[in-house]
Amino acid sequence: MSDATIRLKDKRIVADSRVKPSGSAVPTWWLVFIRELADLWIGGKALILTLIYSLVLGIMVYVLASSEELSLIPPKELAYEMLKNAMAVSLFIGLIIGADSLSGERERATFESLLLTPVSRRQIIAGKFLAGLSFWPAALVIAVPYLQVLAQGDEVLGPTILWGALLGTVLAVAYTGLGMLASFWSNTNKTSYFLSLGLYILFLVPAQLPGRAQTGAAGQFLQWVNPLAATNHFLSKHLVNYEPLSLYWPWLESPVVFAVLVLGLLFLFAGPGLRLEAGRSSKFWSRLARKVGLAVIVCGMVSWGASTVMASREEQSKEGDLQISIDVGYRIVKTGDKVEFNTVVTNNGTEASHPLIVAMNVINLDAKGEVVDPEDWSPQRTQYMESLAARQSASQHWIINTILDGNYMVYMVLIPAPDSQETTSQPVTSSGIHLTVTPFTRLNPGGVLPYAIGGPIILLAALVLINRLRRRSIDLGSSK
Amino acid sequence: MVPSDAARVPDTRPPILLAEDLRKSYGPRPALQGLSFSSQAGRILGFLGPNGAGKTTAIRILTTMLEPDAGHFVVDGISSEYPEEIRRRIGVLPENLGFPRQITGIEYLTYYGQLYGRTKTESRAYGLALLDEVGLLQRARSLVGTYSHGMRQRLGIARALVNDPSVVFLDEPTLGLDPRGQQELLSLVQRIAQERMVGVVLCSHALSEIEAVCNDVIILLSGRVIASGSVSEVVGQTQRNVLRVQVPSPSISRARQVLKALPSVMKVAPTDKVAGWLRVELVDVADGGSSKAYQFNNKLLGALIRAKIPILGLEAEGGRLQDVFLQLTEEAIK
Repeated sequence: MSDATIRLKDKRIVADSRVKPSGSAVPTWWLVFIRELADLWIGGKALILTLIYSLVLGIMVYVLASSEELSLIPPKELAYEMLKNAMAVSLFIGLIIGADSLSGERERATFESLLLTPVSRRQIIAGKFLAGLSFWPAALVIAVPYLQVLAQGDEVLGPTILWGALLGTVLAVAYTGLGMLASFWSNTNKTSYFLSLGLYILFLVPAQLPGRAQTGAAGQFLQWVNPLAATNHFLSKHLVNYEPLSLYWPWLESPVVFAVLVLGLLFLFAGPGLRLEAGRSSKFWSRLARKVGLAVIVCGMVSWGASTVMASREEQSKEGDLQISIDVGYRIVKTGDKVEFNTVVTNNGTEASHPLIVAMNVINLDAKGEVVDPEDWSPQRTQYMESLAARQSASQHWIINTILDGNYMVYMVLIPAPDSQETTSQPVTSSGIHLTVTPFTRLNPGGVLPYAIGGPIILLAALVLINRLRRRSIDLGSSK
Repeated sequence: MVPSDAARVPDTRPPILLAEDLRKSYGPRPALQGLSFSSQAGRILGFLGPNGAGKTTAIRILTTMLEPDAGHFVVDGISSEYPEEIRRRIGVLPENLGFPRQITGIEYLTYYGQLYGRTKTESRAYGLALLDEVGLLQRARSLVGTYSHGMRQRLGIARALVNDPSVVFLDEPTLGLDPRGQQELLSLVQRIAQERMVGVVLCSHALSEIEAVCNDVIILLSGRVIASGSVSEVVGQTQRNVLRVQVPSPSISRARQVLKALPSVMKVAPTDKVAGWLRVELVDVADGGSSKAYQFNNKLLGALIRAKIPILGLEAEGGRLQDVFLQLTEEAIK
């Protein structure tokens, strides 16, 4: 008979000796995970947060659909905006759940009981971390109908969900872990929430900088180093502007590095030192390790950022018989569609050209039509080139997002860079693309209303149902 | 209800709990200064001391929640160098233990049973048996949030027993309970120690409950042990030649005169705590043994009766743990 075997004695079950793990017992991290999951989802906290989340998404989708100005935005950009906001809200909730995971137990005096078990501290962290992560998949599933209604059948829906799931998971790992680290170093939820909120706001700051600050070298670096801003930049370039992935892979470095660092800190540093009081014991090496860990984060971010900025600078690039051609003559499309075309610049001369600049312009052919703001039509309207050798050609790829219906001419201008401040040069113009844009049925606010209201109502019903099912399985007697 | 020590024979079994020179400081402030003791299975050891004496620090160290600066301890043959193994062998009811509210009593115990390596079925069966043992079987499927404070304390004790421990630590288990709840819980603690043959360490402010259920006692003050041993040994450390007599307030001055006139009385004075009580210091009777002390008591009572002074109460000072505690802590502070 094994040590864990139980036998009946005097109406009481007495264990044969001290309990030892039996072969059929499940891993303890799994037990902690299931318990935490039940506390989060059956206890109601996560369900209420989910309800709030769906309400926020409902309000967002209605605002996006009903605003006259915003309705000019093409579906893919609307879908991107919704994904960006859904990620921001759900990451905040993940951060809050992580921030409550350890300090909340300290505050409620339930932590000591758990720490008194022989379960390894790392397994406790693993179980709690996975439970904290459980909000993100639910948030993504809830966001899908909203993304679908805003995408209006556009092909962007699939990639939006796919990239959202992939990058959202990386960020959810990082943010939930970050919340847990804040909780690890806090004795009360007040402290850990405050710390988490501060970190969250810190990550939002780069997006709030003035336009120039965001586009300069320092601004680019700040955006790159910020995992949330870098992810959004990548998503906007890929989903909205259809930029090739190869150009923007480096923007995914910071979210991935950030997630790996947070996980490393959580499981290698905080996990083994988990104790009843906040932080690790006050021994010298642990304090040193904490400082080294933080220094690693900072140095890592700085070095990766610097390398990326340098790399992006390297990416960036005389006159004679210069020529520019376009591979499209006309196109009939509807508002919100994407038009892609290529230009070829050729140097027919016998000498190398100056450095060259190729610029795009869009003109409304209808004198009474809306004035075109080319910025809205294409975020990248200028491309710079190094000088072209004699009898050499170079091609460029362009994308236009059709914003308004009407008749338009898109044409390219090739400008040789002037030699000095006192000289000028002769631009060369391409043939134009005659673009006929037909109106797209505007997103009807009435159409999105069922989604805006339906989501929260369905979740509320789920909350009530879960609560009822739970009440059926328990006694509801008062204390005696 | 006082556990008898008269029949105590020297115990040759190895101690279930042994501590040697445990020390702990929080910054410059010493919290524990050389705690050493041993305890046997089946006996209840009481930790006594005023606030800040080091009781909770001692419990936290012995339950592996805190690392000592120096010293070591052994639980059921396992050295303090193996905290995870020690945690398998101890059960703890911490002071002010919190419970998740959205969980039933049986779910709570099943979860903890699983964390100690039992299967779910085993844990549930054992959890129900424990709830039966602590008198909560009828409320097994109720949410812990609906439990009264006393019920939660009993659930906490069941949680402490979920791994069938060798040593159980109970930190202020009766705090906040009504007198009936206190009595029920202390009976439960005694039953656990005797039936399960586990060592119990009971930490409490309530001197009467330590005296009522503990076999051994350690009195701590500012992190130091100022008295230790069996309850009767510790009680015997204080002076026993003082009596307290309660008479009606109008008779106080006459009672003083009568008692002062007795040759065995050194000093008579009203106590400064409760009106109507007189503190009577007798000549030292320690050499004469208990029979001589009884003779003094009888003479004293006889004198009061002859003077027709009603006697409302009589007790020996120094005969209770409370007196020892007050006397020792007062001396140590001085």
